[in-house]
Amino acid sequence: MSRDSNYDHHISIFSPQGRLYQIEYAFKAASQSSGLTAVALRGSNSCAFVTQKKVPDRLMDPSSISHIFQITPKIGCLATGMIADCKAQVQRMRYEAADFQYKYGYSIPVHVLAKRIADIAQVNTQSASMRPLATVSILIGVDDEKGPQVLKIDCAGHYLPFFGTASGSKEQEAVNFLEKKVKDMKDYDVDETVRTAIMCLGSVLGSDFRGSEIEVAMVEGTDGTFTVLKEEEIDLHLNAIADADA
Amino acid sequence: MGDSAYSFSLTTFSRTGKLLQIEYALNAVANGRTSLGICAKDGVVIATDKKLSSTLVDLDQVSKIQKINEGSGFVYSGLGPDYRVLVRKARKSSQSYHLQYREHKPVSQLVKSTASVMQEYTQSGGVRPFGVSLLVAGVDADKSPRLYQVDPSGAYFAWKATAVGKNYINAKNFLEKRYQDDMELEDAIHTALLTLREGFEGEMTKDNIEVGVVSQADGKFRALTPDQIQDYLDETS
Repeated sequence: MSRDSNYDHHISIFSPQGRLYQIEYAFKAASQSSGLTAVALRGSNSCAFVTQKKVPDRLMDPSSISHIFQITPKIGCLATGMIADCKAQVQRMRYEAADFQYKYGYSIPVHVLAKRIADIAQVNTQSASMRPLATVSILIGVDDEKGPQVLKIDCAGHYLPFFGTASGSKEQEAVNFLEKKVKDMKDYDVDETVRTAIMCLGSVLGSDFRGSEIEVAMVEGTDGTFTVLKEEEIDLHLNAIADADA
Repeated sequence: MGDSAYSFSLTTFSRTGKLLQIEYALNAVANGRTSLGICAKDGVVIATDKKLSSTLVDLDQVSKIQKINEGSGFVYSGLGPDYRVLVRKARKSSQSYHLQYREHKPVSQLVKSTASVMQEYTQSGGVRPFGVSLLVAGVDADKSPRLYQVDPSGAYFAWKATAVGKNYINAKNFLEKRYQDDMELEDAIHTALLTLREGFEGEMTKDNIEVGVVSQADGKFRALTPDQIQDYLDETS
């Protein structure tokens, strides 16, 4: 049965060309299913990420809908894709971070957590019993030795550190926007980091938004506490962007 | 490895007697970025290109060449996540060897155990073969420098010089012409860089390639820093 060439579309075995279709399909699910785009970047001493907040129904409680999760006081995660898979991966991240703290007595560095979660994601690409998760996660944190870090973990178990990155339906356009600014990014202060992330999202979505329509979060400084911005704070940034353009 | 739900092997013989999953895994390797290695009489060099999808990636923190124990290092072509699994298992097995014997695991032993793991994944239930070919560089217990290639099937061979990944045929032809049995490590490094440059798209710089070296003199594997790579690049041009 696994010899049938169609089986390679169902579970994580190689196709004749050496591709893994299940991973490719998981990527499609992760970028198309939620319809959201996420943007993340790092500055000189801070990182920020931003995504849309789409509430599908007016009867829903907007505070319960979020793709931004705190993993530890110093590490935050923006997960795009199928929300149930996102939450499953976040739960695992929280467990791994807490377990590390318990075993070693200090808080897990972002890149160590990213590697751990990526290694766990890889198992699903090699073992037939579980499908890959349809989630792309972006982790932000400030490392004691390396400074602000943005790491992206994808369905295939790849993880990479970035100066700036994006995920979701308009990923490519957002990345094009960020590539033009990559040389300046390392000097950005906190406000510029947050505002560039918001501007990037605005530019690829082609529309302006209000503070209630996006979620923004950041880590800053050497004590690096992860904070989700409140609507008023987002509005301050949006106004500053509008004033700068005017 | 593998769940009870999938207690049958996914890699099974075809009617013509082939193990197709392994062949397909080799195709996955041939789609990967080129890596090569040369075994000189006094050391071994391995090298790979480090090009990534975007200028937004923080390349300084990414490395394909990994030290496994004091005397051995790996590089690969193929699927990155699968490679990380093998690196982790190799490091653990080196530590376990050291715990028992109080000696560094020789590269030939390391290759045997890593190859054995790769073979298990072609036969065990519910898992697919690794989509990587490894190049392993090390100085063995008898002080001889060794370069091994380990394939997804678990087969391994010692090589004088070899290449894997995209364009490996051209790279191997190039190496065959230039290899000499009495080559020294410095020559081998230059030849490795020249071979990499042959198939390289765009300009090859110290930041978009990686080089790892182990010399017979001290038997320690190390990855060259970008500045050291620049010195060699200056010498070859």
